[in-house]
Amino acid sequence: MAGGRFSLDLARPSRQHWLGYILLAPAVLLIAAIIIYPLFVSVDLSFQNVGIARLDQPRRPFTTANYERLFTSPDFWNACWVTLKLIVIVTSACCLLGLGTALLVNNRFKGRSLARLFVAMPWAVPEVIAVVIFAWIFDSSFGLMNWIFLSLGFIDKTINWFSDPTAAFAVVATTMVWKGYPFVSIMCLAGLQSIPDDYYAAARVDGANAWQRLIHITRPNLRPVLGVTTILVMLWIFRDFSIIYVLTGGGPLKATQTLSIMTYEQAFGFFRMGYASAIGVVTLIICVIAAKLMMSRAPENL
Amino acid sequence: MRQSPLARLFIYASVILTCAVLLFPIYWLVVTALSQPDQLRQLPPKFWPDEPRWSVFGKILEERPILLWLGNSALAALGAVTISMVVSVLAGYSLSRFRVRGGQSLGLFILTAKMLPATLLVIPLFGIFRMTGLIGSLWSIILAHATLIIPFTTWMLKGYFDTIPRELEQAAMVDGCSPWGALVRVILPVSAPGLAATALYGFVLSWSDYAYARTFLTNAQGNWTANLGITTMKGEYISNWADISAAAILVALPILAIYLFLERYLVGGLTAGSEK
Repeated sequence: MAGGRFSLDLARPSRQHWLGYILLAPAVLLIAAIIIYPLFVSVDLSFQNVGIARLDQPRRPFTTANYERLFTSPDFWNACWVTLKLIVIVTSACCLLGLGTALLVNNRFKGRSLARLFVAMPWAVPEVIAVVIFAWIFDSSFGLMNWIFLSLGFIDKTINWFSDPTAAFAVVATTMVWKGYPFVSIMCLAGLQSIPDDYYAAARVDGANAWQRLIHITRPNLRPVLGVTTILVMLWIFRDFSIIYVLTGGGPLKATQTLSIMTYEQAFGFFRMGYASAIGVVTLIICVIAAKLMMSRAPENL
Repeated sequence: MRQSPLARLFIYASVILTCAVLLFPIYWLVVTALSQPDQLRQLPPKFWPDEPRWSVFGKILEERPILLWLGNSALAALGAVTISMVVSVLAGYSLSRFRVRGGQSLGLFILTAKMLPATLLVIPLFGIFRMTGLIGSLWSIILAHATLIIPFTTWMLKGYFDTIPRELEQAAMVDGCSPWGALVRVILPVSAPGLAATALYGFVLSWSDYAYARTFLTNAQGNWTANLGITTMKGEYISNWADISAAAILVALPILAIYLFLERYLVGGLTAGSEK
């Protein structure tokens, strides 16, 4: 290679070069080894009656029992319902809060760069730490939330947040909103800043008030960013493991057991890895559909 | 463009109120850590401890191997980021500059891989790592974290490379640089901010992981990461919230510091990576 001369014209439309393949090779090999191969193992396991995955033993006979069991299991449909509820509630709250904070700190005022930093700060708090914070705020005996609710007269005796199904769901949702809204805020702020000031200036000249500017300029210009962000937030809730697992473990009475939690519980709680893989594969199919949806929403970015 | 004083007052009031509400949980974590343990079992709660107990951090560092956990987290993150960066710099450059057969579908696959649930991959990886004897070793999470990081970093870097004009490499090659030389001597120095942002983002992803560490390292106490260590403290029979909070602050501090001082890089990477 040393001293060799290359007549590589990168501007040419058909740029093919062996270097392109060589550069790609490490990524292909590594992705094949740590993502694609495991995915195949997962699919394979889901068609076997396996307790603990052992790859050094001959595979068990092919069976669709895991899937039959899955689709007839009330736990599975319960997990789907919990996941859906969580996605709808947390996504809407994250988007409202994220959009609101982004609009707020997009105003001109002194110290706004500091305000922008603060408003999205929960993004930088690891999920497990957010769980520690909210587990204590919602502590049944000495938690702040019970005290606030009691002093305001909302309740007359303390709520046992982690043994009541509805209350536990509310705690999980609150924690996820707090952890999730900053991402929406950051994305929306970036979207807002990419709208040229001229649009607003022109609208002002034409006599549009603040509300009209929001509806006719901000809204349509922000829509693509908000669409992609919404899907990313939904996928995050869909996949999330640590917040729910550490906060409630999926309980009480499976009230916070999403598909992710159910997969993990079956695999590493009950050691039914074949069954768990079947849940995981169904989860994956839903994810792929969502990913496709996202790509069709944002074609210009691909 | 002048705002009326009333409008300005309204904006300041809303900003301060919003930040106060949204950041209260972080404030409460600090207050809890600095309170005397018996004070936490009193109502009404105190919103600032009478005598802030700064010694709690020294105490918790002595009682728990938090430095070990932080060190493990850092090692795992550095390992995973190093592997991911080397691999994705090359792949991102290739996807950005060369027309490679299958490159498009690889790009699409990587995009989809960002959405894979960890709970799905964790089962086969558990089997694979058991067979290869990696369970309990830091290598298990270094490799697993790479599955989290590579899809992000490859797309982020491709995005950065796309913004660099091709004429730059052409000029270098006219001057006698090989394509490889152009990458190393021209493109990489120019994209240093992008590389930093990408690496930081990967670091945050790795540092925040809990699922993989919980699965692969639970029985290897010496290799616990910070997040795993913290959750074992929470699971104890009597939770000492002051101690847990102090430990939580120490664990959250590195990422918070990165965020507060390098926010520009991190957020730039976040938005660039997510639009792709």
